[in-house]
Amino acid sequence: MNKLHFKVGLFAVASLLLAGAFVVYLLHARGFFEDTFHLQLAAASADGVAAGVPVVFSGIEIGRVTTLGLNEEGGIVIRAEFMGRNAKWLRENSTFTLDKPIVGGAKIRVDSPDLDAPALPDDATVLLLTADISKELPVLVERVKAVLDNVEYLTRKDGEINATLANVKTVTGRMTGEYGMLESILGSPEKARAVTDSLDKTRALIGKLDGLAVKVDGMAGKTDQWLFAPDGVAEQTRESLAQIRLMLNDAQSSLKKADALMTNAVEISADVKEGTQDIAALRAEIDDAVSKANALVNKINKMWPFARDPEVKLP
Amino acid sequence: MNFLATSIESLGAKVTGWFTVGYGMFAFLATAGLLLLDRTTWNRATFDVVVKQVYFTAVQILHVFMGYVLVISWLIITIILSTARDFGLTAFASEMTIRVLVLELLPFLTALLIALRSGSAINTEVALMQVNNELDALAHCKVPPMQFEFLPRLIGGVVSVVTLAGLAGLLALLMGYLTIYGVSTAGFEPYTQTIAKIFDFTIMAGLIVKCALFGLAVTLIPVTAGLETPKKLFMVPVSVLRGMMRVFFAIVTIEVVSLALKYI
Repeated sequence: MNKLHFKVGLFAVASLLLAGAFVVYLLHARGFFEDTFHLQLAAASADGVAAGVPVVFSGIEIGRVTTLGLNEEGGIVIRAEFMGRNAKWLRENSTFTLDKPIVGGAKIRVDSPDLDAPALPDDATVLLLTADISKELPVLVERVKAVLDNVEYLTRKDGEINATLANVKTVTGRMTGEYGMLESILGSPEKARAVTDSLDKTRALIGKLDGLAVKVDGMAGKTDQWLFAPDGVAEQTRESLAQIRLMLNDAQSSLKKADALMTNAVEISADVKEGTQDIAALRAEIDDAVSKANALVNKINKMWPFARDPEVKLP
Repeated sequence: MNFLATSIESLGAKVTGWFTVGYGMFAFLATAGLLLLDRTTWNRATFDVVVKQVYFTAVQILHVFMGYVLVISWLIITIILSTARDFGLTAFASEMTIRVLVLELLPFLTALLIALRSGSAINTEVALMQVNNELDALAHCKVPPMQFEFLPRLIGGVVSVVTLAGLAGLLALLMGYLTIYGVSTAGFEPYTQTIAKIFDFTIMAGLIVKCALFGLAVTLIPVTAGLETPKKLFMVPVSVLRGMMRVFFAIVTIEVVSLALKYI
């Protein structure tokens, strides 16, 4: 046996077998042994579509565009060819979208949400949608620009946000002062001191009113005797009593004002624990003062029942 | 003035030389082609020489060649894959690999290898036969050198380059699959799709024609360069040098023309 001839023969046989196998594989790959499946895609524009554009399903190429042209009505008809084995991915509820990415060539994307839906018949005509990202980009850029303009306007040097932040800084700075929340609400330690001073004065006034009430009690006894006297003492007494009433009304209204102020303070400082505790103490003082005033008014009214609404009401 | 005239004269001489060489080559090719059609050419003796030529050009270096293809394919596939991954273009990696390796690089490298190994040997052998008057002696003994020396070399060259490039391509396809998908059948469908997309009829025909032209270039040019050798021993190296330069230019020209036809 000629060794050289044997080796060459082996080489030739192996090469031919491999070449034959490759040719058969290639024919199989190109769908030579199976039927082809055709689809017609109706599109508004054939921009970006050319023969050879792939049709992909889930990122895998299942077919290609073969021809494109116009129909009798001037519409665009794109013919695509699929291998028989890939026809099962094309269903009646499948959508066909033309994708034109920024990088890479155009492709037609098939989405079949329900693979149990009835299959598309051969040579069916379906609609081709367009998802052109390069057309959407300018719109998107415009919108982002508008948003950025707004942000820039809000954060400008003398803008509202800066002013608000500066105010918050001032308020919180004041809160750390001697009079805490009260100072932050009223603006300065002097004003806060004035409020506490006026509360002190109210207390003193109520003390004096107490004394006055005792005196009025004494006077009332005498007045009882004089009330119906013919010399007209009652007239004078009534005038002086009217003056007392005015005085009491004044005291009442000033207490109401202080009370309204305190209510506001309590509302504002609802979640600041320390502030709330300060205010609560103040409130208790005011409540005390108001109840004293109420008691006083009631006493007077018992003697001269010409007032309809004798109570000082707290909100 | 004299200088200009000399320059033009030397240019004219060169152009005439190129035409002479080109004409000689195509005349030789035509003679060989006509002989190929002649039924008397196909006898046992010619066939034996062809087999020997194929053995020395292709079979003898097969293991070295395949090892070299394995290494270069693996390297280039890995480089293309990692670059494609870096740029997020993995989808194009397998197509790129196949196009670069199977269609362009491997046939080109095969032709270069055969030219360096067999082409230079053929050129030297023919030049020495020419210098030693062996060709005349053979013709005198009714052993026509065209039939028994040159034609088998041309056929052997073409067969060898086409076969080796084909085997290298198949090996590169296998390597590409293994590098991209590993040892699993999962990637068979997409890989088949890619192969089907690339290898249409024109591409396959173009590849085979290109390889055949490569094979012809690496044997025909050395044979004609050897035959041109003046009958002086010191002219043999000059003949080999010229022949090899022409082979290189021919290979590059074929590659460039094939690329231009494919992609322009």
